[in-house]
Amino acid sequence: MTMTVFRGPRLATKLFFLMSLALVVIPWFSYLYLKEMEGFLVDGQANAQLLTAEGISTLLNGRPDLFYELPLSPEGYEQLYAHPLTTPIRIDGKNNDWEEVLDYNVSFGSQEPDETSTTGPNQFYLVLGEHNDQVYALIQVKDDKLVFRDRNILRLDLSDHIRITFTGQNGEIRNLVITMTEPGVTTAYNVDNDWRYAIQGIAENRVQGFMTETVDGYAVEFRIPLALLGSTKHFGLAVVDVDSTETRAIQSITGTLPSAGREAFGLVLLKSPEVLRIIEGLGYSGANIQVIDAQRRVRAEVGSYGAQPTQESKPTSSTWYLKISAAMRRIPDALYRLIDVGLRDESDTAEDSVIRESLAGRPSFQRHYTQAEGETIIAAYPIIAQDKTIGTVVLKQNTDRILELRRDGLGRIVNFSVISLFIFAALILAFSVRLTRRIRKLGAEATGTIDKYGRLKTNQLRSETSAGDEIGDLARGISSMLARLHQHNQFLENMPRTLRHEINNPLNTLSTSLQNLESETTESGKQKYLESAKRGVHRIGMIVQNLADAASLEDALATEEFEVIDVHQLVESYLGNCRTSHQNRIFEYRGTQREVLSEVSDYRIEQLLDKLIDNAIDFSAVDSTITVGMTTDATTLTLFVTNHGPLVPTNMLDNIFDSMVSARGSNSDNRLHFGIGLYVVRIIAEHHGGTVNAANLLNGDGVTIQVNLPLYKRAIAADASL
Amino acid sequence: MAKRIVIVEDDPDQRSNYVDAITKKGYEVTAYSNRQEALSGFERELPDLAILDIILGDEVDAGFEICRDLLSRSASLPVIFLTERIDEIDKISGLRLGAWDYLPKPISLDYLAERISSLLRIHEARGQSHQGSSTAKMVGDMSIDQEALLVSWKNQPINLSGTEFRMLAKLVRVPGHAVSYDTLMNATMQSLVTNNTINTHMRNIRKKFENIDPQFNCIKSEYGFGYRWSAK
Repeated sequence: MTMTVFRGPRLATKLFFLMSLALVVIPWFSYLYLKEMEGFLVDGQANAQLLTAEGISTLLNGRPDLFYELPLSPEGYEQLYAHPLTTPIRIDGKNNDWEEVLDYNVSFGSQEPDETSTTGPNQFYLVLGEHNDQVYALIQVKDDKLVFRDRNILRLDLSDHIRITFTGQNGEIRNLVITMTEPGVTTAYNVDNDWRYAIQGIAENRVQGFMTETVDGYAVEFRIPLALLGSTKHFGLAVVDVDSTETRAIQSITGTLPSAGREAFGLVLLKSPEVLRIIEGLGYSGANIQVIDAQRRVRAEVGSYGAQPTQESKPTSSTWYLKISAAMRRIPDALYRLIDVGLRDESDTAEDSVIRESLAGRPSFQRHYTQAEGETIIAAYPIIAQDKTIGTVVLKQNTDRILELRRDGLGRIVNFSVISLFIFAALILAFSVRLTRRIRKLGAEATGTIDKYGRLKTNQLRSETSAGDEIGDLARGISSMLARLHQHNQFLENMPRTLRHEINNPLNTLSTSLQNLESETTESGKQKYLESAKRGVHRIGMIVQNLADAASLEDALATEEFEVIDVHQLVESYLGNCRTSHQNRIFEYRGTQREVLSEVSDYRIEQLLDKLIDNAIDFSAVDSTITVGMTTDATTLTLFVTNHGPLVPTNMLDNIFDSMVSARGSNSDNRLHFGIGLYVVRIIAEHHGGTVNAANLLNGDGVTIQVNLPLYKRAIAADASL
Repeated sequence: MAKRIVIVEDDPDQRSNYVDAITKKGYEVTAYSNRQEALSGFERELPDLAILDIILGDEVDAGFEICRDLLSRSASLPVIFLTERIDEIDKISGLRLGAWDYLPKPISLDYLAERISSLLRIHEARGQSHQGSSTAKMVGDMSIDQEALLVSWKNQPINLSGTEFRMLAKLVRVPGHAVSYDTLMNATMQSLVTNNTINTHMRNIRKKFENIDPQFNCIKSEYGFGYRWSAK
C-alpha cells in the first residue's frame, strides 16, 4: 500500500524564510531610527542657525545708521557692486589676480549692433573690487580696431577711452577720462562737461591704470582711492570707441547705464564695510552669512556653504575589496535617492520666501534643495531698529555633515545587514542541514527497529540518545519505548517456550497415565493411573491460570480502585500472618512504627508482598531470617525485603524484574517458576507510580529488594503545615 | 418427573461429556450448539435450569443474550454460566444478569452435578419461603438463609451468586474470626483457584453491600491470610 503524504516546505526552508524576515525588519527599523535622528539633527541645525542669525541680528539691532551709507532708493540705476577683495590687485592689465570675484563680472552693451542707439556693439565686461580703501576695476572691452591717443592732439575724445563720472568730496559732479597712447600705463584727466579737454594741464595721478591688448580688444585695469569718490561712494562708467585714425569720430559710447540721457552712467554700490566688519568675525566654515537690507540688497556677506569635495577613498591593495565597498556604497546611495526624492523641494522660491518672511518681522527657516549645492538650510532673522524691520540676517548652511552621517549610518546598516544575512544564512543552512540530517537519521533508525513483519529487531536506539536537545529527548523516548516494547514482546515470545517446557511434564504424566489406563485391567491399578492423570490435569490448569494472571495483570490493574490506607499496618498484619503460614522462616520487621499513608490498592500490595516473600523464601535457607522494613522520606515510602542466601549475578540485577527472567539455577523443588514473581512486583509498583530495584548485600550473603511508592499527597501537605 | 436441563455449548466433545454426566444423574438433558437453536428451543418449552457457555462460535456474548432472553420469560429460572476467565466474573456482575452461579473452566463434572441439584433444591426452597417458613439466621444487620440462598442487609435483599453466597456463609460462620484463603477456595468448590480469584469475589460481594449501604465495612482483609467478618 502506498501512502500519499503531504510534503510541505522543509524545515530548512521555513527557518530560512523566518530568519530572513527578521533580517529585513531589523535594518528597516534601523533606517527609521536613522531617519528620526536625521530629522532631529536637521531641526537642531536649523535652530542653531536661527539662533546664530538671531545673535548676529542682535548685534545689528538699533543700528539703522549702518545702512545709511547708501542712497536708499537707487531705482532705475544699474547696481554695481564692488566686491571686497582679500588681497590687493596688481595693476598690470591681467585678470589673474581677480579670480575670487571674476565670476561676478557684468556685461554691458548688446551683442547686436543697434542703429538707433548710441551704444554700439562695443561690448565690455566689468568687475569691481574693493580693498584697503581702493576701488579696483577690470574692464575687458571688445574692440575690432584700437585707436590710441595722439600726444599732439589736446582733445581727449579722439581715441578709445574710458569715461568715469562720480560725485566728488564737495558734492560736485566730476568727470574723469582714462586714455592711453600705447598699451601700458594709462593716464587719467579731469575733463570738462563735454568730455573734450582736460581742466588742468596735469593728469590725475591718483587714478592709476594699465592697459593690455587682448585677442578681441583690450583690457584696462585701474584703481581709484575711495577718498576721491566722496561720501556717496558711487560712480558711473562708460567705454568710448573710436575706430578711424583719419576722422577720429566717436563710433559708440557704452555705459554702465544704457540710457544716454542721464548724466550719471551708473552707480557702483559698495558693500557696507562696517556691517561686513561686524559679521566677518562671526563667519564660520561651511556657513554663509548675508546681511540684507529692507530693499533686499545684500549689504554684507561672509563665508560660503558650498559642498566640500568628498574625500577620495583611500587606495587599498586589493581591488575586489574596492569594488565591493563601492558596491556597498552605492546601495545606501540608491536607497537614499529612492526614499528621499519625495522630500526635495527644488523650487528657488525657498530663499525668497524665507527672506520675505523675515523682512515681515518673522524669523523663519526652510530646507532647500538644489542639484548643485545639495540640501541647504536657510534661516533668517530680522534686524529691528526703532520697531521697524530694517533688514535681515540670512544664514545658509548645507546639511552635508548630517547627510554624511546618515549615509555612513545607512551604509553601516546595509553592510552589517548584508554581512549578517550571509553569516546567518550560512549558519541556518548549516544548522538546518544538521538538524534534518539528525532527524532523518533518527527516523531511519527508528523505522529500522521493526522489520516488515512487525518484529522488534532491537531494544534501543544508538543515535542521538546522548544529545541534550529535544531530538535527544525524542530519541531517548523512542529508545525507552522500544525497551518496554521489547520486554513485553519478549514476555509474549517466551510464553509459548515456557509453556511448552512447563506443560510438557504434566502432559507427559497425563499421557502415560492414560496409556497405562488403557491396558490396565484391575480396578485398583485403574484407580492409581486415574489419580496421576488428575494430578497432571491440575498442574496444567495451575500453569495456565498463573500465566493468564500475569498476562492480564496490567489490564486488571487498570480497573483496580485505589484507596488511602496505612501501609505500615498492612505490612505488620501481613507479617503476622506470614509467621504462622511460613513456620520455617523467621520474619523480622525494621523501620518506622508510625502511620504511613499511601493511596494504593490493598489487594495488589498484598500480592506484591506475596511475591516478594515467595522470592525471599525461595532464595533463603530454612530457619534463616527474612527482614522486611519500611522507611519514609518527604514524598516516598521505601519497602524492602532482605533475605540471606545466594546473590543475584551482577549482570542480572537490572533485568531481574523483567518477565520470564529467573536467576534460579535449577528447578529442584518442582514448583512453578516462570520468573513472573518479580515482574509482577515491578508492574504493581509501577502502576502505583513507584519504582523497584534489587541489590546484593554489601557483606555478600544476601539480596535486598526495594520498592519505592509515593506517599499520600494530602498527608504530605498536612505534615508540612504542622 | 425428571427435571429438564438445557446445556448450550459449542464444543461437541465438551457438550457430549456434560450431557452424559448429567443424564447419568437422572436428569432430562437437551443440548444446543448455538444461540439460534437455543432460542428456538425455548420457544417450544422452558427448562427447569440452564447451563450456558458465554462464547458460542463467533459470538462473544451469546451466553449473556440467551440468559437475558430466558430471564425475560421466567425471572426466577436458575442459570449457570461456564466461564473461561476470571474477568468474565466481573462482567457477569457488571451486567447484573440474574445469574445464579458461574463455574470457571476447567470444571469438575461431579461438582457440576452437585451444583445442579443444589440450585434446583434452592429454587424449590425459595418457592416455599414465599409461603412463610424461613430458615434465615441473623448476623448483626445481615440475614442469611442457607436453604434459599437469600441474603439481606438491613432488610434489603442482596442478589449474590452461588459462589459468592457460599464464601459469605463461610466468612460469617464464626463472626470476628479470620477465614483463610484456602478455606474460601474450598467454598468456591472449584478446582483451580488463586488468591486473586478470591479477591475478585470478595470485592464483588463488598460492592453489592455498598450499593445498598455506602457505610458498609464489615468485610476486612487479613493481609497474607484471608478475610474476616467484623460486625463493628
